[in-house]
Amino acid sequence: MDAILEVRNLTKRFHGLLAIDHVSFSLERNEILGLIGPNGAGKTTMISLISGTLEPTEGEVLFEGASIRQLPAYRRGRLGIARTFQVMRPFPGLTVLDNVAVGALFGATGHSRVLGDARDEAQRWLNFVGLDRHAGQRADSLGGPDRKRLELAKALAMRPKLLLLDEVMAGLNHVEIEEVVNVIKKVRERGISILVIEHVMKAIQSLSDRLLVLRSGEKIAEGQPQEVLSKDEVIAAYLGKKRHE
Amino acid sequence: MQLLWQILVNGVLLGGLYALMALGLVLVWGVLNIVNLAHGALIMLGAYACYYLFTGLGWDPFAALPVAMVLLFCLGYLIQRYVLNLVIRAPMFNTLLITFGLEVVITYLAQMIFSADFRTVNPSYAGANFAFLGATVPLVRLLAFGVALGLTFALWLFLERTRIGRAIRATAQNLIAARLYGVNPRHLYALTFGLGAALAGAAGTLYGVVSQINPYIGSALTGKSFAIAIIGGLDKSIYVLAGGLFLGIVEALTALYIGPTYTDVVSFGILVLVLIVRPTGLLGRTA
Amino acid sequence: MKFSTKCVLGGLAVALLATVPWWGSAVLVQFGINALILATLAQSWNIIGGYTGYPSFGNSVFYGLGGYGVAIAMVQYGLPFPVGVAIGVALAGAFAILLGLPVLRLRGHYFAIATLGLAEVMIAIVSNLEIAGRNVGLILPLVKGDALFFELALALLVVSTLAVAWISRSRFGFALIAIRENEQAAAVMGVNTTVYKILAFALCGVFAAVAGGIHAYWITYLDPGSAFDVTLNIKMIIMAVFGGAGTIFGPVLGAFVLAAISEILAAKVTSLASIFFGIVIVAAVVFMPRGFADFVRQFRHLGWRYFQENIRTYRV
Repeated sequence: MDAILEVRNLTKRFHGLLAIDHVSFSLERNEILGLIGPNGAGKTTMISLISGTLEPTEGEVLFEGASIRQLPAYRRGRLGIARTFQVMRPFPGLTVLDNVAVGALFGATGHSRVLGDARDEAQRWLNFVGLDRHAGQRADSLGGPDRKRLELAKALAMRPKLLLLDEVMAGLNHVEIEEVVNVIKKVRERGISILVIEHVMKAIQSLSDRLLVLRSGEKIAEGQPQEVLSKDEVIAAYLGKKRHE
Repeated sequence: MQLLWQILVNGVLLGGLYALMALGLVLVWGVLNIVNLAHGALIMLGAYACYYLFTGLGWDPFAALPVAMVLLFCLGYLIQRYVLNLVIRAPMFNTLLITFGLEVVITYLAQMIFSADFRTVNPSYAGANFAFLGATVPLVRLLAFGVALGLTFALWLFLERTRIGRAIRATAQNLIAARLYGVNPRHLYALTFGLGAALAGAAGTLYGVVSQINPYIGSALTGKSFAIAIIGGLDKSIYVLAGGLFLGIVEALTALYIGPTYTDVVSFGILVLVLIVRPTGLLGRTA
Repeated sequence: MKFSTKCVLGGLAVALLATVPWWGSAVLVQFGINALILATLAQSWNIIGGYTGYPSFGNSVFYGLGGYGVAIAMVQYGLPFPVGVAIGVALAGAFAILLGLPVLRLRGHYFAIATLGLAEVMIAIVSNLEIAGRNVGLILPLVKGDALFFELALALLVVSTLAVAWISRSRFGFALIAIRENEQAAAVMGVNTTVYKILAFALCGVFAAVAGGIHAYWITYLDPGSAFDVTLNIKMIIMAVFGGAGTIFGPVLGAFVLAAISEILAAKVTSLASIFFGIVIVAAVVFMPRGFADFVRQFRHLGWRYFQENIRTYRV
């Protein structure tokens, strides 16, 4: 098994605040890696560093063995890295269908460069996530759970090799969470590698092959879900013990 | 060397007036998020108010200044309360367009009423000069500078020390916080814009004493105020003062060393450079 | 209305307009040329402001570069008009790329102010250039007959509108719209936002430059103030926005209607006309902020409540 993503010594400083502190890990091909940790641990920052939305202060990001640290966000998107945003970012004035079509048009190179084809492909992705009924609606008219589905569909339409999911289950009820878990499993079956940030413990436990735990920007545990979740440091992190400065 | 010193003195004196011109714009921009393209037109109205008080009633321009300020305050209050308040939550672009519309209305009304002739306000002491460390300082310019500084300081005091002033500052952060001061937001917004207009009126009065006026000076003055606001920074009155002085000195130096026709190139060139390199202004806090 | 029906109607309208110089009065033809040039400017703004979401207040720079390109080529070097236009276009393109790069990194009103600043700088620079005739300007060779200019301006409007139509249904246009709707999301989804923004800016510059060239040749006189007329910026924005920014025909409609209103009133007292124009702008921003196209679309189900709704949404 080779690593599709490798993060080495990644560090991000914001004006003196250390958001990510020399974190290293790798994500195997076709693996689902769960990224967990208390609020403010730096999980979204990590995804932003991998997707190119933020630049690291130190460290390396390797995608399929090659460094992508110098590449701007749009190039990483074309290479096959797609992400969802926790604070969702749809294209509000466009229809749901067209939102997804953007991904088909500009995602990984070599497919759907014609508007008509892109829309057809977008429709297929809407069916996949269960949004087909809303295809013609304006994106900003969707409710919470549907918006999350839209975020997912947009990312999938890019035909990524690596999918970075940022709390796609927040605010969903049991049934909806079940659906999302199934969709993510179906995505993995297509050969896509996935990094998932989640707070819904049960879901992420059942979904992930491995877990990575961050607290205050540091990696404090990595490994099989059962092991990781029974470690003292991990439990303490969630119960709110502050880190010594 | 002598000449350089004179130029610097001129620049500083002019800069004080510039700062006052930009102050009203910055206040309204910072608190209400309104980019007021009619700002220069309000300055123009202030100048005409002073002119008519001077020629019609024989008042000294510096005595007319408070009256001009009150008149402009009322106008500004009404404009905000009954026109701008209707669009204030729209995208900022809309306020750009609507203030432009107001600028057109004000300018052409002025042209109709006051005629397009150039006017000046020439008090009896207009020619008086005195020497300052080897430079000639015209009395009116020194007085204008003094008043400008005084008003800048007064604004700062008002915003820091009075209840209404603090309510206005709170509005810039958060409308809900402002409500805690117990002031109706519509009234508060109108007060702020009125205050900005009053400052414009004061600047106009002073401008009328040191330079010629006609109904069309509005847009150039708006442009200049923008440059000062951006170059200095929008956060504090003192930044605007610094921006004004900076621009005054730079323009004076440009006129001397490069040529008087290049002052606009330099002013607006610096504006663009500052926007590109440091949009929060030379002094503003880093984004 | 089906697209093909629109095309046929559009074609008929163009054909009809093309005949105006032969039966219209001199005043009508002159009005026509002005309106057509303004409509092209509104369309050019539509590309960068309407579709890409970057409200440029500096398109007057491209207009002026086009005018001066033609004037300098013809007056200083004796070159023919088309070469002059090509030079103007090249200048505009270079400007869009070189200055677009730093300025398009700014957002919203900062971008607007930066472009306004650039517009002012250009006037000041050109006023100092010997080759451009400094403050005095240049006088171009005279061409008799407005018909030629009418047809040129009409052709330019048609081309620019076709370009906008292509944008509205192409991958390129989709990128621009994505940038407008959510630039960060667009970048993450694979859109090279920098390149697309610059291309949009350059395209808008090209059309504005040709318009400026035609205008300069038509009025045979050019000076920095009129060539780089800063008020044109606000005019083209208002026309595009009130007609409907981000639509194909909105800017054209907005330009013709507002130009007509302006013209009719100017026949009376000039100041009154301008005052009325200003009031129209204020009223339109209050009651119809999303433009005429949106008004037409929504009036059907909302009726007069459309105006109320707009105020209610945006008031304090």
